[in-house]
Amino acid sequence: MSAKPKIRELLDESACTHNAARKSTCNAPIPGATTGGCAFEGAQISLFPYADAAHLVHGPITCLGASWETRETGTTHPGRDFTRMGFTTDISNRDVVFGGEEKLRLAIDYIVGRYRPQALFVYATCVTALIGDDIDAICRLAESEHGIPVVPVHAPGFVGSKNLGSRLGGEAVLKHLVGTREPEHTTDFDINLIGEYNVTGDMWQYAPLLEEVGIRVLSTLSGDGRIADIRTAHRAKLNVLVCAKSLISLTRKMQERYGIPFISLSFYGKRDTSDALLAIAEALGDAALIQRTRAVIRREELSLEEKLAPYREIFRGRKAVLNTGGNKTWSIASALQDLGIEVVATAVRKATEADREKAREYLGEKGVLMMNPGAEQARIIDETGADLLLAGGRSLYTAIKKRISFIDVNQEKKKSYGGYRGLLNLAEDVRNALENPVFRNVARRAPWEK
Amino acid sequence: MGEVRRRSPKPLQVNPIKLPQTMGAALAFLGIDRCMPLMHGAMGCASFTKVFLTRHFSEPIAIQTTAVTDITAILDGGDYSIVEAVANITKKVVPELIGLHTTGLTETKGDDIRGVASKVHLPLVHVNTPDYEGGLESGWALAVSALIEQLVEERTQLDQKKVVLLPHVGLTPIEVEKIKEFVARFGFDVHALPDLSTSLDGYLGEKQGALSSGGIAVEQIRKLGDAFLVLSVGASMKRCARALLEKNAGMKHHHFDHLNGLEATDALVGILLEEAPIPEPHPGIVRWRRRLQDAMLDCHFSIGQTRFLIAGEPDQIAGLCASLVEAGGKVRVAVATVDSPQLVGIRAEKVLVGDLEDAEDHRNEYDLIVSNAHGERLAHACGKGLVLRGFPDWEQVGSQLRNDVLYEGGTSFLVEAANAAERMRSK
Repeated sequence: MSAKPKIRELLDESACTHNAARKSTCNAPIPGATTGGCAFEGAQISLFPYADAAHLVHGPITCLGASWETRETGTTHPGRDFTRMGFTTDISNRDVVFGGEEKLRLAIDYIVGRYRPQALFVYATCVTALIGDDIDAICRLAESEHGIPVVPVHAPGFVGSKNLGSRLGGEAVLKHLVGTREPEHTTDFDINLIGEYNVTGDMWQYAPLLEEVGIRVLSTLSGDGRIADIRTAHRAKLNVLVCAKSLISLTRKMQERYGIPFISLSFYGKRDTSDALLAIAEALGDAALIQRTRAVIRREELSLEEKLAPYREIFRGRKAVLNTGGNKTWSIASALQDLGIEVVATAVRKATEADREKAREYLGEKGVLMMNPGAEQARIIDETGADLLLAGGRSLYTAIKKRISFIDVNQEKKKSYGGYRGLLNLAEDVRNALENPVFRNVARRAPWEK
Repeated sequence: MGEVRRRSPKPLQVNPIKLPQTMGAALAFLGIDRCMPLMHGAMGCASFTKVFLTRHFSEPIAIQTTAVTDITAILDGGDYSIVEAVANITKKVVPELIGLHTTGLTETKGDDIRGVASKVHLPLVHVNTPDYEGGLESGWALAVSALIEQLVEERTQLDQKKVVLLPHVGLTPIEVEKIKEFVARFGFDVHALPDLSTSLDGYLGEKQGALSSGGIAVEQIRKLGDAFLVLSVGASMKRCARALLEKNAGMKHHHFDHLNGLEATDALVGILLEEAPIPEPHPGIVRWRRRLQDAMLDCHFSIGQTRFLIAGEPDQIAGLCASLVEAGGKVRVAVATVDSPQLVGIRAEKVLVGDLEDAEDHRNEYDLIVSNAHGERLAHACGKGLVLRGFPDWEQVGSQLRNDVLYEGGTSFLVEAANAAERMRSK
């Protein structure tokens, strides 16, 4: 039987609330009117943070050449850090004509021989899927020859969106890694962090607090992750899905297969972080643990409030417009509200149904959910008297024209806004933006303009 | 000029610096005013390119995709997705030109884009740029050739003031501008094809980058056939010059492998003085030549004791190597992304087509790295100095302002390299 997961099945995720409303069209990008990454990128995002595994992209140079070392997914792995390396078969015309299997075999041998990774992920791409290279067979053979997991990832770009690709990455992990090893010991409070990629060290903002109250992160998919750990993930008591709806299929299947319950939460902002910590403790269901967690939350909130006090003075009465996508549409809104800033509008064009619901919840009835932010945001800034625009770089000019402050919140940000400490980073960035005269200064008319 | 290895013996790329043809073509179309680069492939091909270039230039990048899916890959010969894409694009904006370029995916399935192009009722230039062949340079050059072949009108008369500059992909926006101004100082009207100097630099437009903005106008491209002089820069651009000369038998052509350093700039000035209506160069040019001479002497002590590794696109590294070698730099290894006729002329002891793993394997042979941002990890891990050049540069702001060409840019490049070498030694 093929190792390829059934894409239809993944698109029809029963644990997704919105699935009754939208069916097959979920997956069809419109020619000439499409932005956003492909399935391969999604798989890459969800698996590349494993720093002790090598990731071999079997395809032409576009797929890896333009995408390696693009995300800051930090690791504490002491050995060679594979998150900062790129491997690709860089197939040529000849491979397209005669097949790329031989090259792939040699490339796998090369990587294992020279770098000795804990596992190897092999990614199919559009071209190698189209020419029909049998990646499954090659991976099976390599696995038995080299004695490490060699995992085929079937997420060629043309099967769909980034979101679908993340699911396919999760499927590969579930099929080939989870349950292939027993942990040395278990505790009653073992959890898996699923969908936490530790971008800019987000996970490190809250993981020490989990440890402090006695919760052990058994494995992650895949922030600061280790292959040996994810192989034992089936022994966790709880799956914690962090800000990533795309991996809900994985957690649902792990519930069905191993009886592991899952909860979904976010660590952006004070309220969300506190809620998340408590939700994990409550889900684990131990009274003493819950008590310890409440105590830590109290302590952290108190210390945070103290540090935030000077910022709150500056932020009083300030209004912000947020133009981003995905879970950031509400998670950053929530964090801004925690700083005492009123979020008057947030863009929901690139958000799921569930994200939109949450955005409405956070912004309340008065808040504007922008479906066409490019056209709407300037008008909304005028109407609400907003002081701050948080968006991708393309919106900078809107801020300059409106003479208000701007913060770039694209995915390549280098600072973490996660957890309690991340909120201080956000506060500092917001203060710097509000105090910076540059947005007004660059808007000065030239001497030759009337 | 030393040993040249034109092909990597490895079955893979480890830490690649190579970039795809498709990206080169997209970038060339971004140097045309009000153009919509349309990449015929899966949506990820265009998305990766857009994000990559946005981060590199810190400017909005206009690009669209035909969004080929696993279904249309089998059932559609490109007719549906391309025609549909154009229809959807024109619902929002009306481009002056569509720059249709293919990817490995659509070349593998064998779409006939020339045939489909005839069904589009908008100015459109099509070019085949599979990413399993060539690289950034060839993709750019193929797109420029296609622009010339499909747009430039044939002429017989010549405009004695008009010069066409054909810059290779590695020239930054400011470098293209500096070359244009330099040539203009000899009394010429200079048109660059493509022209990134006005499109991917200093952008502060209100529109969110729906189309490219700035760059050479399509109407100007159509009329390039009466230029009396064509200047091509970079070995990759020779084919473009040939295509342009087909349009008018009277055109003159001068080729430069690069315009970095004293010798190459002197060669350009020599030719311009022969062709120009003016008897001697502008005083500003004379002044900058003296500054470069001065900088070569000021920097020679530092650069002369430094061993370099240079990695990047062939045309760009050829120029950087020449500049350093003129001041006594010892270029031990030059790592090129792809094979090129340029490689035999590169002034380095070893020239190899390869990747940053190859660079790492030679780590005992050099002190300072000149490479793209991916070289940072290597420099850090091996304790080398670093000067960032080429695509991508995500680590520093102002990559589009870095000027290494002609007397002026050569001066600042030597100063930067010498300072980086000294910083490295003082660590």
